[in-house]
Amino acid sequence: MAELHEMEMRAVYAQTLNELMETNPAVMCLEADLGRASGTVPKVSDAHPDNFVECGVAEANMICVGAGLALEGKIPFCASFSCFASRRVYDQITISVAYANNNVKIVGTAPGITQGPNGGTHMCFQDLAIMRAMPNMHVYSPCDVYELRAMLRQMASSDQPAYMQLVRPKLPKIFDDNATFTPGKAVVLREGSDVTLVSTGFMTKFARDVADELSANGVGVDLLHCPSVKPLDIEALVASAKKTGAVVTVENQNIVGGLGSAVCEALGENYPVPIQRLGINDQFGEVATEGYLFDKHCFGPKHITEACQAILKRKA
Amino acid sequence: MNNEAFDAKKFDLLTEELRYVITDMVCCAGSGHLGGALSLVETFITLYYRVMNVDPSNPKWANRDRLVMSKGHGAPVWYAALAYKGYFPKDWLPTLNADGTKLPSHADERTVPGIDATTGSLGQGLSVACGMALAAKLDKQNHTVFCIIGDGETNEGQNWEAAMFAAHKNLDNLVAITDYNKLQIDGFTDDILGLEPLVEKWQSFGWEVFEMDGHNRDDLYEKLTAAKNVTGKPAMIIAHTIKGKGCSEIENTIGSHNIKVPDEAAREKYLSAMSNADIELPY
Repeated sequence: MAELHEMEMRAVYAQTLNELMETNPAVMCLEADLGRASGTVPKVSDAHPDNFVECGVAEANMICVGAGLALEGKIPFCASFSCFASRRVYDQITISVAYANNNVKIVGTAPGITQGPNGGTHMCFQDLAIMRAMPNMHVYSPCDVYELRAMLRQMASSDQPAYMQLVRPKLPKIFDDNATFTPGKAVVLREGSDVTLVSTGFMTKFARDVADELSANGVGVDLLHCPSVKPLDIEALVASAKKTGAVVTVENQNIVGGLGSAVCEALGENYPVPIQRLGINDQFGEVATEGYLFDKHCFGPKHITEACQAILKRKA
Repeated sequence: MNNEAFDAKKFDLLTEELRYVITDMVCCAGSGHLGGALSLVETFITLYYRVMNVDPSNPKWANRDRLVMSKGHGAPVWYAALAYKGYFPKDWLPTLNADGTKLPSHADERTVPGIDATTGSLGQGLSVACGMALAAKLDKQNHTVFCIIGDGETNEGQNWEAAMFAAHKNLDNLVAITDYNKLQIDGFTDDILGLEPLVEKWQSFGWEVFEMDGHNRDDLYEKLTAAKNVTGKPAMIIAHTIKGKGCSEIENTIGSHNIKVPDEAAREKYLSAMSNADIELPY
């Protein structure tokens, strides 16, 4: 059997759901005709047909069927492309999940630019922002398969409504079998005293590479990975900002309302320092490759490096 | 009155008393969704006193029949029925919509014993009921999930997603009721967004469909019982009702959806317009 980090993220999503279903039959997998994209068809649908609910292209119904299942003690994981799993069904999630306090887990796949070939109609840059603005909703974004598995295990053991981004392809290994996930806790991936770099999900692998390179060149980077965008680890952010005095954020999202905004809110109220947000600068997406979009929107590795160097000059 | 010993005279008296109490609750609140609550009085009494298998002393009893009212704004009739069944004290009823109340304008599972699902945003409840019915199937439980939707609410496309889902999954433990009072906020349903042919629509989606007079106790009992016994597919009962039924001031009028009761004169106007205004309030 392949090592976990040799697997696609979606394959680990399906495998972990199957493992959870073995020990807890209440865990359910719901899809809206994108199960093959999420990796659960046929992996979960064949292995646990009674725990798998195909809803067809009807995301609103899927979310509320999930709410009904949760009212009866089930633990439904409802997946679709992040554009359909968040903005398309925002009212269903708001009322039937968060307001009603029903234990539904929502999985938004192919977030941000990872939707590449499907283009602008399918690229969702605002799911972190809009899901974060919803009371009683947690918002997560794992950076590798080990963290994804730990996150899914934690979600299945909790009665907290939550939204999780899921990048579908392989991602480089960052953690190992000992990975843990705690809502509201950030992970310090590298320590440094010159600049704080904050990332989540898909962007953490790039942030790590940049932090390694900068550190080798004499710029100490404190790298804070935030798998839990909400609740945010304000304590860790403030501690790092006190140490470095400057913060760069990077996310695979619109900088309006997402991780960068959350960091600005937290530090603005608790420990103001110069901050530079990187991500999509309030624009729609388009059919394009990762490199093209990084360059166009200035949030690839090169831009992260430059932002970290530039912000040093803004320090008090 | 209980499931075993049905008494038509008591049923009719209870109908009049609940209508009066519901209207008083809305008057106490100063405004509220009266019309769509009054159209469902006989339905709720029939469900809770003759059809549904429930235990008011144990609202979350696992084997109970469930009820989802997707038209959550009809909550006053549900709250009144639950209080009369003993789920909570009747003196909660005049606190409808008051600051800090347990009885908000739209049906709330979090604060009200006996409410099985929180609703309020139209179009979502039938899907929630589908999830509950599916869970019962998976867990090999024999209870029925009832779901009341509004006629205006039927404009919402999500109902038709749920309609396909329930039929596809053979949810014969699901009984839906359309409160077809022919009125929605902006006017008559025929003028706003016509639903007809409504029976054929649900039939074509694979449901067993009944029609009933939603104010006739014998028809209600017969159709609800028959719908509960349908096998192999979900059941829909189109309940022909009158919005604001029993309050002559608003009966079958466009303004009946949400009434304003700014002062004592308005309160007197609505309460004196009840079909039986000689009711002693229980709180």
